[in-house]
Amino acid sequence: MTADSYATAAGLVERSASAYISGIPDNPADDGFFGPASITWRVSGGLISPVAGLRSLILQALHPLAMAGVDQHSGWKQDPVGRLAATSAYVSTVTFGDRATAERAAAVVRRIHEHVTGTDTVTGRRYAAGDPALLLWVHAALVESDLAVRSLLATPLTPADGDRYVAEMVVAATLVGVPRAMVPATAAELDSYICSVRPELQCTPAAKESMAYLLDPPGLDEDIADIWQDVRDAAITCLPDWAREMYGYHAPEPLTPARRTEIRQALGILDAAFLGEPGVLEARQRITARMRAAQSA
Amino acid sequence: MRRLPALVTAGLSVAAAVAAAALVRRRIGPLRSERGIAALRLAARGGVRYAGSAPRLFAAAGEKREQLRSDLALQTAEDVTATLGDMKGVLMKIGQLASYIDDGLSPTVRRTLSRLQDSVPPMSSELAAGVLAEELGQPPEQVFARWDPEPIAAASIGQVHRAMTRDGRAVAVKVQYPGIAETIAADLGNVSLLRRMLRLAAPSQDVDALISELRERVSEELDYRREARNQRLLAAYYDGHPTIHVPGVISELSTRRVVTSELADGARFAELASWSQRERDLAAETIYRFVFRSLYEVRAFNGDPHPGNYLFHGDGRVTFLDYGLVKHFAPYELQPLMQMARFLCVERDPEGFRRSLEQAGFLQPEAPLSTEMIVDHLGVFYDTIREPGPRTITEQYASAVVRRFFDLRSPVSQHMRVPSTYVILQRINLGLFGVLGQLSATADWRAIAEEIWPFVQGPPSTPIGEAEAAWRARQLPGRRPVTVHARR
Repeated sequence: MTADSYATAAGLVERSASAYISGIPDNPADDGFFGPASITWRVSGGLISPVAGLRSLILQALHPLAMAGVDQHSGWKQDPVGRLAATSAYVSTVTFGDRATAERAAAVVRRIHEHVTGTDTVTGRRYAAGDPALLLWVHAALVESDLAVRSLLATPLTPADGDRYVAEMVVAATLVGVPRAMVPATAAELDSYICSVRPELQCTPAAKESMAYLLDPPGLDEDIADIWQDVRDAAITCLPDWAREMYGYHAPEPLTPARRTEIRQALGILDAAFLGEPGVLEARQRITARMRAAQSA
Repeated sequence: MRRLPALVTAGLSVAAAVAAAALVRRRIGPLRSERGIAALRLAARGGVRYAGSAPRLFAAAGEKREQLRSDLALQTAEDVTATLGDMKGVLMKIGQLASYIDDGLSPTVRRTLSRLQDSVPPMSSELAAGVLAEELGQPPEQVFARWDPEPIAAASIGQVHRAMTRDGRAVAVKVQYPGIAETIAADLGNVSLLRRMLRLAAPSQDVDALISELRERVSEELDYRREARNQRLLAAYYDGHPTIHVPGVISELSTRRVVTSELADGARFAELASWSQRERDLAAETIYRFVFRSLYEVRAFNGDPHPGNYLFHGDGRVTFLDYGLVKHFAPYELQPLMQMARFLCVERDPEGFRRSLEQAGFLQPEAPLSTEMIVDHLGVFYDTIREPGPRTITEQYASAVVRRFFDLRSPVSQHMRVPSTYVILQRINLGLFGVLGQLSATADWRAIAEEIWPFVQGPPSTPIGEAEAAWRARQLPGRRPVTVHARR
């Protein structure tokens, strides 16, 4: 199978924007599972989000069973951008939506997962998308990527805020069906959990191929494609060495202050493009206004 | 509608537009007409849309304070950096440059513009007070007899507060966002990224020249002392003028990041829509007189003919705001411009017109073109002043002027360029026609021009002209433009 069997990535920005907006309510019934005073709101939806998102996908794909589930079921190749947008919409809803809306979205995801079962052709192991172990890996990769990318490319969270963020995010894992007791609740627990999974990780052909697609998505508008090179390089730069080596990616340019600034400048342009999509500005303003109100309360 | 290819996203469509805008300014060069206009339109949309998300650069003194979203106020210098850093401030500047030429801006886009302008986050009062204290040495409550902590408007990379000086003058205090100068300077330093963006957006452009222009323009605007100097100069010249008002600068309360000037109030450009056509014609006449008197008498050109920079008081009286971009000309630079107008419109000597174009560097010497073709191509820019009699500047005419700039099918375009000295003039010309076109202004522009042209010195042709002549007579006898440059 070649990358040619994938659909193009045209409309990546537009569809990501509508996904983001779809999760941000006009008149929420309550502050949801995180709320305007949370670290989660503070770290969500910023400049570095595309890098954090891409880095977490690269990590997530290293779990052969998680990868097999995506590869064999989710319509991933027919509509990769749509699949990513669906995930973004889900994350946005759980983060910013009120509790009832977030729970409804989580119920839909759990229902879909019930039908996602099969056998991974590489390891020969059976998998089920509803398996808490797989869900936890996906969750952990996402949370850890947010922390790692932030610490390298933005103002790092203090250790205390880092722990608070990991603790806040526990509920996101439980919503999709991971028992609370399994979910790391501090940054240290998160790191040791990831270490403990490493022996199971493997760069399968499906992982390699999917990531090759994401790192250089065909069919992007030319302007976005140019900026995407920086997003890709940034995501690879922020990977742990072991993950980079499993994929065989080249060691990145060292992250000097100058290089970091360059990456942020490219991300700024992407963010401006995102902000230019209808409704994004208004959605962000709704969130900012609620955060400001919470701050002054 | 949104399925436009490639350049639809804000960042790069804005870049496309700056390329196009720069093209307008630099030379009549190789960009296809339709595409150029479309790129500008997109950029106006993208740029404007983006501008709405951050402290905008359009001056807007006199706006109602409730329009500023204080719930989104920037609390710290870090908030400013998050809003305007990482290239976003630079993109806004690019968008602003592009916005000078808003041919074809649809009513929807205009509505979006004003709606988004309402949503600009100001600095919190503490943050603004902190900048002021750093600049003037004391907190605002001590510097001023009264200080309004709520901003009345967003301004060029800053915001405007009302205050009362200790000697009882009502003033507008423009305070720059903290850290903005450093942030924008750093982002303008990433030439390679700017180059990549611009090369993609406009592959045939002289991208490096474009970038250096952008850098120069922005660094000028970041130092408010320069702006204060220009405003003082023009305020001194127009002192006592019957319809042109330039707010005076309070020098001792002006620094690199703070400029304090006399407070002006009046109707905004948008309100003019509900005024009579006669009032609009009078306002347009004053704008026209201001632009060309400043050019010919002060040899200074305010490069910001943006509707947001005017306040209207009725009977043709207009207050002119924002001197962030003023270009000064040497006499030898001004001379060819006068010659061109003189030969084409007064002497009716096409060969003389052609020679002036060549001398100024607009036209290649010995270009294989008939003089008739050249006059035909460039005549549109002089349409309103070639013949006497009342003429209406319509939006269609303003658009035609813009289109002519982009008209590359004409063989004349291949032999023309705009020398860098005059680049700004074109932007102003297009901006001026845009403003007059939106007003559908009617006047005998030729007669007004003759009053102002030093080589004609025609008699007053309108009531405003009469009052202006009386004002000039009151000026010191024998006053020459050079004396104007003396600092007050």
